[in-house]
Amino acid sequence: MENRGRFISLIGPPGLYLFLFFLMPLGVMFVYSFRAGISGVAHDTFTLANYQSFLTNTHFHRLLRQSAGVSLAVSTISTLLAYPLAYYLVFRAGSKRVTLMTLLIIPTWTSYLLRIFSWKLILGSNGVLNSLLLSLGLVEKTSPILIYSRGAVIVTLIYVWVPFVALPIFAALERIDKSLLEAAADLGCKPWEAFARVTLPLSLPGIVAGFFFALIPTLGEFVTPLLVGGASGSMYGNLIQDQFMRALNWPMGSVMSLAMLLAVLFLVFILTRLGSLTDLAGF
Amino acid sequence: MRTQRIHWMTLSILVVVSLLLAACAAPAAPTAAPVATEAPAAATEAPVVTEAPAPTTGSLILLDWASYEAPDYWTTFAKAYPDVKVDFSFMSESADSYAKLKSGFKADTVHPCSNFWKIMADENMLAPLDTSKMKNWKDVSPSLAAQGAFGGKQYWAPYEWGFEGILVRKDLVQKVPESWADLWDPQYKGHVAFYDSGETAHIVAARVLGFDPWKTTPEQDEQIKQKLLELMPNVLTIWSSQTELEQMIASGDVWVAASAWNATYINMINQGLDVVYLNPKEGRMGYLCGFAIPATSTNYDLALAMIDSYLDPTSQAKFANDMGYGISNNAALPMVKIPAAAVEGLGMDNAEIISKTMFYQYLTPEQRQAWTDVWSEVKTSK
Repeated sequence: MENRGRFISLIGPPGLYLFLFFLMPLGVMFVYSFRAGISGVAHDTFTLANYQSFLTNTHFHRLLRQSAGVSLAVSTISTLLAYPLAYYLVFRAGSKRVTLMTLLIIPTWTSYLLRIFSWKLILGSNGVLNSLLLSLGLVEKTSPILIYSRGAVIVTLIYVWVPFVALPIFAALERIDKSLLEAAADLGCKPWEAFARVTLPLSLPGIVAGFFFALIPTLGEFVTPLLVGGASGSMYGNLIQDQFMRALNWPMGSVMSLAMLLAVLFLVFILTRLGSLTDLAGF
Repeated sequence: MRTQRIHWMTLSILVVVSLLLAACAAPAAPTAAPVATEAPAAATEAPVVTEAPAPTTGSLILLDWASYEAPDYWTTFAKAYPDVKVDFSFMSESADSYAKLKSGFKADTVHPCSNFWKIMADENMLAPLDTSKMKNWKDVSPSLAAQGAFGGKQYWAPYEWGFEGILVRKDLVQKVPESWADLWDPQYKGHVAFYDSGETAHIVAARVLGFDPWKTTPEQDEQIKQKLLELMPNVLTIWSSQTELEQMIASGDVWVAASAWNATYINMINQGLDVVYLNPKEGRMGYLCGFAIPATSTNYDLALAMIDSYLDPTSQAKFANDMGYGISNNAALPMVKIPAAAVEGLGMDNAEIISKTMFYQYLTPEQRQAWTDVWSEVKTSK
């Protein structure tokens, strides 16, 4: 009895919140996806036309695949970069740990837009980098470096996500009982063996959490592509925005959003099965 | 195992319930509120009062463009109603304001351009303006006002008009372009900024190909799509916010900015940049924007007073001087003193340029959909 009371008081508020602001809107979107439009005659008749036109529209599919590629690249590279960072903080930083941790978080305190604009100041035609190259005589004409491309979208997103991926890895590494590593050493493990057989497997839950932390939101990204993507960086999220805000076709936008949701679930399913990560991690 | 099954059951019940709720809730959203006809009726029956009849306290929400919120542009309202709280919510484009109102956003004024005026009036989203209560209405240009009247009712108060043209960094290009068709010239490769709008893209390409943009045949639509695909290699970026565009012009990344607005030209010459605002062979594009009161507004009188305040000659002149846009109040024109270079550069007083300008027109939902889809495909082709 007491247990149930505790369960309800703990799960109730967040559950209700998620129900109202996550499940309900998702339901509204689901209903909208079967409608003909948002205005005009017969806009609320039931139709499967939106699904049909989604299935036949190959450039939606191409862009969804492309966006999935971008977000896989972003989350993989972010994880690879974040791991040594978290490792250093936990095992090597010692007394500097808090300072370094703060330094890692500080950039996220400034506005995202401001950070992007300062990137442009560095990499743009009149930017710091171009001025340097020009004065060194390495280039004759300046042009934007790196920005305005799909590559720029990936680089920017990695920059944004590394701290967030590092946090769960940090937490996982910190939980590791240091005596296990001592035991490994006593039993004749070389440091890299101890890492491969003790540290890495035990930190897997953190890696998986961090990886998905970056993967899921980046698939629907539309702001970063607008700012640094130039003419070739558009992502699937931009197309959804176009349907909602420009074509005023909420039903089509809903179908596209639901398709993305399915794509995310599919990716998560595949990735969790891949190499049975969950077994390794022990859950 | 059993607890897990219970969790799944709870979850599925939640999903089903939320779907049912959503199904019930959704149909209500898009229908227009019936208030539409009530508010104005009450307003017109009331005897003509000269003093402002609006309540002196309360709050207003203005769905407006960024940078139009400066109190300089509504000084008379601020003076007359110091206790009214005025909040601004920003729209990024006309379609955005329509979508926000449709989704149930409650605003007291809305400020899209004339390509959205008819659809919003047709769908009963607006309360007609009681112009007899507006002190400044008598000075509003009749030809502009006429564009905001539908079915004998004045729904829109025209406020500003402007150009969409091509802005060029003269110091960076070898040769200054002369037409919209020059956007395709390979010498500008990688330095063209294009506006992120299917409507604009369609119109620009149609004009370059010599079609009437609003009456294209399916074959012409296909040609327009091909033409736009050919433009993409020249395009550095697709811009959607004025600030972002200005930053890219100033940094030298963008040499040729398509669909740049008057204010961008003014801001660039104020920064001392060597820019020119083209008078392309095909003519510029133009737009007219203005205010209306959404039918769902519960502050009709205050909203009307606010619109009237925006139309005040002194405020409108101030706005024109700051932004370089054309304005609707003829009484304000003598007070407009934007720098001579800007007037000349923009050609705001040049009848020939204005007559060659193609103003945005109403487009059907089918056109909006088709043009957006083409643009979505084109801009993601690279």
